Order: sequence, then structure tokens, then C-alpha cells
Amino acid sequence: MLLDLPILKKGSFYFIKDGDTDLILEDKTKRGLVVKETSIDEKLTVKADKGMIHDMDGIGHWVPIRWYFSKDYYTLSQVMVHAEAMDQKYTKLRELTCPDDDN
Amino acid sequence: MSYAHPEVLVDTEWISNNPPNENRKLVEVDYDPVNGYEKGHINGASLIWWKRDINDPIRRDIISKKQFEALMSKNGITSDTEVILYGDFNNWFAAFVFWVFKYYGHENLKIMDGGRKKWELENKDYTTDEPQMTSTTYNAQPPDEGLRAYLYDVSRALGREDSVMVDVRSPAEFTGEITAPPEYPMEHAQRGGHIPGANNIPWATAVNDADGTFKAVEELKQNYEPKGVTPDKDVICYCRIGERSSHSWFVLKYLLGYSKVRNYDGSWTEWGNMIGNPVEK
Repeated sequence: MLLDLPILKKGSFYFIKDGDTDLILEDKTKRGLVVKETSIDEKLTVKADKGMIHDMDGIGHWVPIRWYFSKDYYTLSQVMVHAEAMDQKYTKLRELTCPDDDN
Repeated sequence: MSYAHPEVLVDTEWISNNPPNENRKLVEVDYDPVNGYEKGHINGASLIWWKRDINDPIRRDIISKKQFEALMSKNGITSDTEVILYGDFNNWFAAFVFWVFKYYGHENLKIMDGGRKKWELENKDYTTDEPQMTSTTYNAQPPDEGLRAYLYDVSRALGREDSVMVDVRSPAEFTGEITAPPEYPMEHAQRGGHIPGANNIPWATAVNDADGTFKAVEELKQNYEPKGVTPDKDVICYCRIGERSSHSWFVLKYLLGYSKVRNYDGSWTEWGNMIGNPVEK
């Protein structure tokens, strides 16, 4: 089970878990989303579990929930690059919607 | 035993054999037309997009009488047209639009039982061709407020023995475990739980799981009556944004023939966000 896998790294918005053959990067903001398909994520070109989120207009958009980086091709530090980029993206979004009063 | 108003339902086979014409319009009602109507729809069907066409573009409300008349005109519908609705998401939004049509007094109205789900299970054909509609002049009736519950109606109904509330959401929403599933991040409320005294009778208990068609009348009675949802009561249905509750409203009013059923379209996204409203978990 994915839930039981050891966590190698975690950020504000991600986990990296240690699978048998993959390093699994999970987007914490997609927690609970139903996996509707597993296919290649065109941006990161690795296999990803995807779900659908409906926007204000009701339109469904496919979103990756977790990515499977094969240990044959990726090291933890390479996966960390993607994880940190995701963390930064969500941190910026949070600052836009909930700016820190001290700033 | 048949439904109280069997004339409001048609099945997929009937639609196959009775295509739309000048006096009969087929309308697909979608929450997500990009993944529904635009990918394929029943030949001759026009589109009503719930968000764009049924909601006021600025404030939270259904469309006005004038906006409804313009929508009918655009879809080639007159007051006498037979209109058959079907759609995505288990016909939830088709039921909502059925409710709006009735609110503005349209008489000859039906739902295709099972909606897109059943049509697709039967591998029936879709097209991406959109029909050309000739605009009409449509005169709607004044709103029938007997079909709609507002916040103050719900507040007044609290604790009354002659009223009953039906919360048609999932048990997890009813207990306050979640306010909305992660698929719908725009539909959360500040508080989780339910309106005090409401019965949790999820919408899905009224349909056959296999194909989304409505259950038989005896099964439907068993679904509601033992929980005190009886024809002598004032019934108010609600969910999160009013679409699943319009599905149960349709069941109670047209399939079981209850005379006093209202849809509370403000639903939990109104009730659960209002300061001071009582909440039960």
C-alpha cells in the first residue's frame, strides 16, 4: 500500500516515498482525490496517477496526484528538484491568496 | 404499481425511436460540457450548460424569467414544445433544469431515465454535430415559489412536526467529516454537518446502481416513508448546491406524487456558511 511506504522526504506540499522500483512524489494538495487513470504525465514524462478537479465553471481538468520516478533512471536529488519546484509554486499561490501581514 | 406521473419519464429506447423535431426538443444538460456534450451527444440534442445558462452570471441565483425566456428562444423551444432533458452526472443537472423549467411553468417536460450513463452503457451512438435552432418567442409563467425553499423557509421549518428535511448528500458530508469531495474544491462551506433534524437519504438510494435509472415505486416508498418522509408533510430537499436535491425533489414530486416538496437550492453552501445558523453533526 502506498500509505505504508517509508517517507524519504517531505515538504509543505509534497511527500517523496520509497517504492520498490520507483521514487514516488505525491502532491499533498490532491489528498483524497480519486485516481481515475494512470498514464504518462506529459510535463515530467513519467507515469502518474491522475484525478479530475472541477473548476468554478464545472469543467473537469486532469491533474496528477502522484508521479512514479523509476529508480533505474532517477535519483532522489533529481526528484527533489521537481518536489521543490512544486513546493515553491504552491507557496507563491498561498502568498497571493493569504499574504503574510508582516510583509 | 406505476409512478404517480409516468409521463415525465422516457427511456433510452424511446429516444432512439423518437428523434427530436419541430415540436419535440432534446436537450442535454451538463455540468461539464467539455467532457460531455462536446465529446459527443445524442443526435439533435442542444446544450444547456448548467453554470453558464441556468445561473445568473453575477450573483448567486438561478436565471430570471427574462433570462429563462431568452434561453428557451435560443434552444428553439416554445411554451408548447415537448422537451426531453438528459445529462451528465447521473442526470443531477438535468433534474435541476427540470426544476427550473417547472419553476417558470413549462408543462410538457420529461427526463430520459438513466441519462448519459445509460445511453453509454448501451453503446448507443453520439454525434458532435450541433443542431441549428430557429429562435422562438417564449412567454414564461411567473415563478412558482411553491417549488423553491429559501433560507428563511428552512429556518421556519426547523423543529416543526409537519415539515421534514431530506439531506441527500453522502453520509460523510452529512456527519461533517467532509464539506465537499476533493474533486469540487469550489464547493466547500465554513462548517460541516447538517441542518438540525434533517434525514440523510442520499440521492443514490433512489436509483439503480447498474444504470442510473430510477427505482420502482415500491422501492422508492420504502426509501422515504420509514424515515418519516411522508406525503402529508412539507418536504424540503437539500444537498450542497441544489442539484442532487433536485433529483430527489423530482423523485418525491413526480414519481411518488408528493404534493408539497421544495428544493432548497441554496443548500449546504448557503446554510453552512451563514453566521449563526444552527448545525448538527
